[in-house]
Amino acid sequence: MAEQVTVQEVSDAMYKMIKDSMGQKKWKATDLTKAVTELFGDRCNKDLTKAAIRDLIENGKCVYTYFGGSFIEIPHREGAEN
Amino acid sequence: MPEVQPKQKRKTDIGPPHYEKFLPPIIKENYGKWKYHEVLKPGVMVTVSETGARLYTVRAGSPRLLSIDKIRAYADLADKYCNGYLRFTSRHNVEFLLTDESKIDPLIRALDALGHPVGGMANSISSIVHTQGWVHCHSSATDASGVVKAVMDDLILYFTEMKLPAKLRIALACCLNMCGAVHCSDIAILGIHRRPPKVNRDRLKATCEIPSVVSACPTAAVRPVTVDGQPSVEVIEERCMFCANCFTVCPAMPINDPLNDGVSIWVGGKVSNARSEPMFSKLAIPFIPNNPPRWPEVVEAVRNLVEVWARNARKYERMGEWINRIGWPRFFEMTGIPFEKVHIDDFKHAGTTFKRSTHLTY
Amino acid sequence: MAEKKRSTPQLDELEKGSWPSFVKEIKTAAEKNPMANDLLGQLERSYEDKISHWKHGGIVGVLGYGGGIIGRYSDLPEEFPNVSHFHTIRINQPAGWFYTSDVLRKLCDIWEKHGSGLTNMHGSTGDLVFLGTKTDELEPTFNELTDLGFDLGGSGSDVRTPSCCCGMARCEWACYDTMALTYFLTMHYQDELHRPAFPYKWKFKMSGCPNDCVAAIARSDMSIIGTWRDDIQVDEAAVTEYAKSGVDIQKDVVGNCPAKCMEWDGKKIKIDNKACVKCMHCINAMPKALAPGKDRGACILIGAKAPIVEGALLSSVLIPFIKLVPPYKELTDLVEKIHELWAENGKNRERVGEFIQRIGMGNFLEAIGVEPTPEMVAHPRENPYVFYEEYFEEDSEDNKNA
Ligand code: HEM
Ligand code: HEM
Ligand code: HEM
Ligand code: HEM
Ligand code: SF4
Ligand code: SF4
Ligand code: SF4
Ligand code: SF4
Repeated sequence: MAEQVTVQEVSDAMYKMIKDSMGQKKWKATDLTKAVTELFGDRCNKDLTKAAIRDLIENGKCVYTYFGGSFIEIPHREGAEN
Repeated sequence: MPEVQPKQKRKTDIGPPHYEKFLPPIIKENYGKWKYHEVLKPGVMVTVSETGARLYTVRAGSPRLLSIDKIRAYADLADKYCNGYLRFTSRHNVEFLLTDESKIDPLIRALDALGHPVGGMANSISSIVHTQGWVHCHSSATDASGVVKAVMDDLILYFTEMKLPAKLRIALACCLNMCGAVHCSDIAILGIHRRPPKVNRDRLKATCEIPSVVSACPTAAVRPVTVDGQPSVEVIEERCMFCANCFTVCPAMPINDPLNDGVSIWVGGKVSNARSEPMFSKLAIPFIPNNPPRWPEVVEAVRNLVEVWARNARKYERMGEWINRIGWPRFFEMTGIPFEKVHIDDFKHAGTTFKRSTHLTY
Repeated sequence: MAEKKRSTPQLDELEKGSWPSFVKEIKTAAEKNPMANDLLGQLERSYEDKISHWKHGGIVGVLGYGGGIIGRYSDLPEEFPNVSHFHTIRINQPAGWFYTSDVLRKLCDIWEKHGSGLTNMHGSTGDLVFLGTKTDELEPTFNELTDLGFDLGGSGSDVRTPSCCCGMARCEWACYDTMALTYFLTMHYQDELHRPAFPYKWKFKMSGCPNDCVAAIARSDMSIIGTWRDDIQVDEAAVTEYAKSGVDIQKDVVGNCPAKCMEWDGKKIKIDNKACVKCMHCINAMPKALAPGKDRGACILIGAKAPIVEGALLSSVLIPFIKLVPPYKELTDLVEKIHELWAENGKNRERVGEFIQRIGMGNFLEAIGVEPTPEMVAHPRENPYVFYEEYFEEDSEDNKNA
């Protein structure tokens, strides 16, 4: 059994993915889950990915957005507000 | 975003209050023990328990959009006539739950004085389930509340009386997203856009992310392009089904078009399993232009459908059951609605909607 | 308020007539509330221009939640500054939409302080809707709501606020406790309701019998509709009463039975309960005489959705009959299997109904471990192009006993 990664490592990895593709791709919770699962393999599991997303949101590093579906993004000022 | 004050612990995920807190004692005592019900007169029903207890329901129509002043007025009525217990229905009506039969008529008078008619039960037209329209939604092809008000002003006697062959359910949605239960209604009023979005290149650059706009389109009608060296998008018009998803993502792609937006009318849907299986509504009138503030052409069209059905349907026959009995050719003939090319489906499984037999009337 | 009253000749037309007027409601609120006053102004403009003046906002919310707030901005903010932001708050209604005057007044007090003073009782998913306020007011409103014991409902790609008919609270036909199940599911899926983690929305709707008063079969990804397996309960004396009182039992009741399983000889009613399809018609027609049987439960159907994106669907049968009693373990196990499969394999914005159509109902059933049964189809396939997965191979051990 491989050693588990920590919630912090998972949420950092997610944050980097979101940040690196800002303006190019919008991430859904399921996309992030799949991507980190690919990255960490069986060192990661569903409870960890769930906790990591919650960590991102509750620390204000990311927010949920809605554009025809729900996404997780870095907070920014949106077009419609202008 | 304002920081959370540390002094107050923020509560989350508590869910709604438990419904038991709001049930009147007679319901708590007779929960699951009801024996039968009887509609006593329009908008008034008694539900009788095996213990003999009698619960009276008085149902009144509402515009759904309510000010807090009106909700407080409801609360006052509930205090005065039924110990403060009331509920709302899936069709936006308000219901007062009484145990004292002698208070029914005074309550009805008080509701009338407040401007809220009592009715909408049994073989009547209940309130119109509807969406936000110009009051609150960006993608609406018509207003919701205004059309509903005009139609109900015209049909109010069908709400306050029970003279129809069966129930008649009307619903309205202001665009194809259909946020209200329309597609399975006896009569559905549906707002439609008929032109693709227009791309405002300068605003697009300033306010929108191109990959998001492209991926928002369900039919892949939005394509990235480069115009004068600047990244932008174009819309392949033949592919667009006017759903406004691109506009949701990007305010620089307005789809609303005063000249071409309007209303379509669909008929013969039902959700209940009674007698026949649930059915979708089918297209009756493809397009009526918006004519605010009172949409007289829509009001007229709905009245015509209601009256032709009411005159010809058998007892218990919902709109769709009546049409299935007489056939669509007779429906178009009796209602005087012209049958056009757009009535024939041309989407994926269109073939199943063609007449595949010689069962015809002449 | 110092706000000047808006001139609204078009909307004034909608104060006329005897149906209750939404314009009067907005005007009442506008007397005290500048947001409501600007809403009135902007709406009048929409009536003149025949166009909506709202822009969609996708980012606003309360801390930690991905649902419950619908962002909205005016496209005429200079003219109508008080509705430049006008976000809607969806509040999870109590099951069955029962209230007391006391709690309604407290909700009104919160909204008087923090928003437009306008509501929808209720939105079409079932939530109590607070219609319109500024971004800065969202968090304070949320905190006061939770102090009163209310929480936000769903929006976005999450479990949407479950809703149900009034069931056993007021209806003799309820075949299971719709309000109890709705409350249970709402609490059980709080995380999924507030933190969108699905390809798209997921709706539960609960109706107590096949009359389906909340339109579950048309509007919900999982439609839970009460029904029964044994014989319709008949009170002979009451049937005689109906006949005496002038009900034409042969024509109106027997004649409308879709299963043609009833007979009436002028004195007694005979039902072939094996053939009855539980449509409710005869019971609706004679509520004092007939009632659903005693072996009650529900039928679970799956997959309804509106036309966006791939065309609309009605729900279809998944579990023909299930007993629904706490702790509802069989149901939640089933839901979890479906959620897992769909979250893993569903495309963005693909409702479960579309997902099933894409992968095939047969494959879907196999993946969630449900046996196929004839109740699930209107009829077996007509098209002969079968994708066989199993076949015999020469000399294999298997076909010796085949
Ligand atoms: C004890 C009997 C019943 C009770 C307590 C009951 C209660 C309700 C209530 C409260 C509503 C929302 C109504 C509104 O606001 O107008 C409703 C809607 C409805 N009911 Fe019933 N109902 C009963 C019997 C029936 C029967 C006998 C039928 C059909 C034959 C039926 C079919 C419907 C339908 C189709 C809707 C509308 C659903 C929708 O489109 O939203 N109900 N019912
Ligand atoms: C007559 C035109 C139609 C109108 C106006 C209409 C309108 C609507 C509306 C407003 C809803 C939202 C229900 C709610 O939750 O309150 C809805 C849902 C739905 N509609 Fe329609 N519809 C129409 C046609 C159709 C057709 C042709 C179909 C199928 C062939 C269909 C299938 C559905 C289904 C399955 C839902 C469930 C919605 C969900 O939960 O996503 N509709 N429709
Ligand atoms: C892709 C499809 C859809 C989109 C883009 C969409 C978009 C929206 C938007 C923008 C609003 C906000 C209206 C406002 O308050 O300003 C809204 C409200 C709402 N939508 Fe949808 N919607 C979609 C499909 C549906 C469907 C299928 C249903 C139900 C079956 C539904 C149910 C609702 C409800 C209940 C509301 C609350 C407002 C009301 O009751 O009028 N939506 N939707
Ligand atoms: C479940 C799959 C099918 C079965 C069991 C089936 C069976 C039959 C049978 C028993 C006949 C009558 C033969 C006779 O009386 O001599 C027939 C006739 C025919 N079938 Fe099929 N068939 C199937 C699918 C198809 C398909 C997919 C097509 C074409 C796309 C097709 C085209 C025809 C034609 C053209 C005839 C002659 C029709 C006529 O004489 O009126 N069949 N089929
Ligand atoms: S039906 Fe369309 S226009 Fe109406 S509220 Fe829903 S998304 Fe908005
Ligand atoms: S309106 Fe809908 S179909 Fe047309 S381009 Fe926009 S997203 Fe695509
Ligand atoms: S769905 Fe059935 S049980 Fe529920 S209120 Fe309607 S008639 Fe009664
Ligand atoms: S419930 Fe429907 S199918 Fe069954 S006996 Fe009554 S009318 Fe016939």
